[in-house]
Amino acid sequence: MAEHTFLLPDLGEGLVEASVLAWLVAPGDTVERNQPLVEVETAKSAVEIPSPHAGTVARLHAAEGATLAVGAPLVTIDAAAGPDAAAGPGIVGTVPDEEPPARRVRLRPPPE
Amino acid sequence: MTTSAPAARGERDGRADGAAPARPAVLTMQQAINRALAEALAEDPRTLVFGEDVGRLGGVFRVTDGLQRRFGEDRVFDTPLAESGIVGLAVGLAMNGWRPVPELQFDGFAYPAVDQIVNQVARMHYRTRGAAPMPVTLRVPSFGGIRAPEHHGESLEALFAHVPGLKVCAPSSPAEAHQLLLQSVRADDPVVYLEPKARYWERGPVPDDGPAPPVGTSRVVRPGRHATLVAWGAMVHRCLQVARLAAEDGVELEVVDLRWLKPIDADGLAASVARTRRAVVVHEAPLTAGLGAEVAALVQERAFRSLAAPVQRVTGFDVPYPAGPLEPKYLPTVDRVLLAVQRVLEF
Repeated sequence: MAEHTFLLPDLGEGLVEASVLAWLVAPGDTVERNQPLVEVETAKSAVEIPSPHAGTVARLHAAEGATLAVGAPLVTIDAAAGPDAAAGPGIVGTVPDEEPPARRVRLRPPPE
Repeated sequence: MTTSAPAARGERDGRADGAAPARPAVLTMQQAINRALAEALAEDPRTLVFGEDVGRLGGVFRVTDGLQRRFGEDRVFDTPLAESGIVGLAVGLAMNGWRPVPELQFDGFAYPAVDQIVNQVARMHYRTRGAAPMPVTLRVPSFGGIRAPEHHGESLEALFAHVPGLKVCAPSSPAEAHQLLLQSVRADDPVVYLEPKARYWERGPVPDDGPAPPVGTSRVVRPGRHATLVAWGAMVHRCLQVARLAAEDGVELEVVDLRWLKPIDADGLAASVARTRRAVVVHEAPLTAGLGAEVAALVQERAFRSLAAPVQRVTGFDVPYPAGPLEPKYLPTVDRVLLAVQRVLEF
């Protein structure tokens, strides 16, 4: 079992915070992946956040009524299976990496 | 806000003659656009910036960060999530003498505003026989490369370049972003300004505001003699990568940043092809009826006798931009561009 702390994601486009309306799970509960964990409200709408992992709820990091910044810890889950990719908060999309691209094609220079 | 715009201020260039040129600031493209917007707001009280989240939040990509604080809620403001309304507002403001710079938050959200863009912004000047110019600069974060979800990565340039009355440009670097935006805002015609999201984080020197090359001019960003790569937006960076790889093989590629997608610099293209005799045009948008076809047509019209090989196109595929991890397979890769270069070299 590995602990995963799930951070409050950006729930819209550039939203910076959300407040916890109601927890739908409690510490010790068993949750399935995609099971609703918590209802939060943003400047745009109220939404249910699904669990990114299957496992056991270890800790809730915010009380009902509290306002959380995007990126703040929301809930820690003891994952039942292998680790999922960590879901980080952020903008819509990802900053592109600037690694030089790998090539396979070689050119033959034209005759002078 | 009053209903009619205040009079323009006088001269915009307040720099003292003879001042020693300072080293240009190094900014990200986001910061360069932010600076251009601030300069546009400062130089003309008729300029207005508005859109979804551009005010209090400062923009999803931080492009309008701090502008509302600096220029006030009457000049930099948030709108409802209604793109047709955002552009419609720009039409009414422009008719009353303002110079609107609306933002459509993502390229995919330009589609709900197409009616206002095509039916109103593009043809109001024409319809009114010149009585109602539309000095509107429509900023659209555009193109792919950030593995965004659906509707957050689209190439609109061929669509808007096809509409009579619109000018279209796309910067490739922080310096270009700054200069092209100021030029767009100062133009009395509507300009669709397509910001390459994938290059927002690129840092580069941004010279101070100054004389800019005329609307509709391209720029040779790397000289070469064996073939010309033509691109715009983020694909200029890709073509520069390809040119560096080709140089390892002894092939010297010229890279032309088109900058303006309407009007297209046909003379500049012809001049480059006269030097290199071969051209490859690279864009992210799907192949069919993309702007690459227009570039190829212009090159063969203007430089047919210079050409040693048919113009090649390296583009996205005729599918929507794939979301997430498949996107790099869709965008032109260095190998796909290199293969096209090999085809024009060996024709």
